[in-house]
Amino acid sequence: MLNNLTAPIIFISAVFFSGHIYADGLPPLTHKLTVIKKTIKAPALRLKNLDGDVVDLKNFRGKVVLVNFWATWCPPCRREMGSLERLHQATKDKNVEVLAVNIGEDVETVFSFLGTVEPSPYFQMLFDTEANSMKTWKVNGLPTTYIINKDGTIAYRAVGGREFDHPNIIKSILELTK
Amino acid sequence: MNKIILLSIGLLSFSCFAEATQNTQADSVTGAKTWSTQSHGVYFSLTQILPEQARAFYVNRGFSLKQIEPYASSCVYMTVLRNDKAAGKIHFVSNNWTLLVNGKPQALLTVNEWLQRLQKASAKKSALIAFRWAQFPPEQEYEPGGDWNQGMLSMGLPANKKFDIVARWDIAGKQVKATLKGVRCAK
Repeated sequence: MLNNLTAPIIFISAVFFSGHIYADGLPPLTHKLTVIKKTIKAPALRLKNLDGDVVDLKNFRGKVVLVNFWATWCPPCRREMGSLERLHQATKDKNVEVLAVNIGEDVETVFSFLGTVEPSPYFQMLFDTEANSMKTWKVNGLPTTYIINKDGTIAYRAVGGREFDHPNIIKSILELTK
Repeated sequence: MNKIILLSIGLLSFSCFAEATQNTQADSVTGAKTWSTQSHGVYFSLTQILPEQARAFYVNRGFSLKQIEPYASSCVYMTVLRNDKAAGKIHFVSNNWTLLVNGKPQALLTVNEWLQRLQKASAKKSALIAFRWAQFPPEQEYEPGGDWNQGMLSMGLPANKKFDIVARWDIAGKQVKATLKGVRCAK
């Protein structure tokens, strides 16, 4: 039975992943960040990256850090990935770090997807295969993004897809570096 | 003066009407239909996910066809809720939303209920993680200016069934709702 269905499944998957089921009405990616007024310390984040090296958020103290939770099967996550790299390019020499935390997938799946992203991401990809950080970071849906101050407190949150290379977002992030 | 009052009432009526307008469209590639509305500054939409699309998606996430079939054929929608310009932060629990099937209220099957069923069917842990996070959030908060999610929501209904859905959220303790009428499950 599976053999009979393999071809249509591959075709339908291609349509699904290319976003065609939303082709006529893609929800717009917005560009507003929510200011976190309370002083909230960012939860711990210590995960392996694509090379298998452990990356610890606490080692970035003194830098502004964008932490993005995502998955390859999440349409708005895929749509915003290119804009994250453009943000990375615009801010990487200005004391800003971008960390993308993949939820529940393996290195091969993520690596394969990254080859399709334009421009190709050069920021850190971390792997939370058990989705444990979703609870500690109070993430209820993908994508969700936090922007962390140099002192390790949360400055902004964005629930849902964003255009991270929008001038307003870049400006907000760069102001945190001052 | 009377003209001004009448004009004001007219504009107010139009504004209220516009607030509750429901739109329906079909995707030119797949034929999947979308029902959408704007209510109190919040956008709400349901887009049909055809059973074969749901099967393909979850087989690619590690489920077997047998494991995912009950879900794939349960009338699944890509659901979007977006706080464009509500008066403040909105909060919802999707379990509080109501389906009206033939005018009778019916609760939605929760994500946890689906997860329990899939666990009983011996689905892999990685597949269950993907399933959990591909669903529309059971509970969430959106700030105005564009916080939103897009996720799958099962109605637990057979193919081609027609229903209304009432989505509810609250702003500062005050409950607000949006209704989509005449929504139909994919065949």
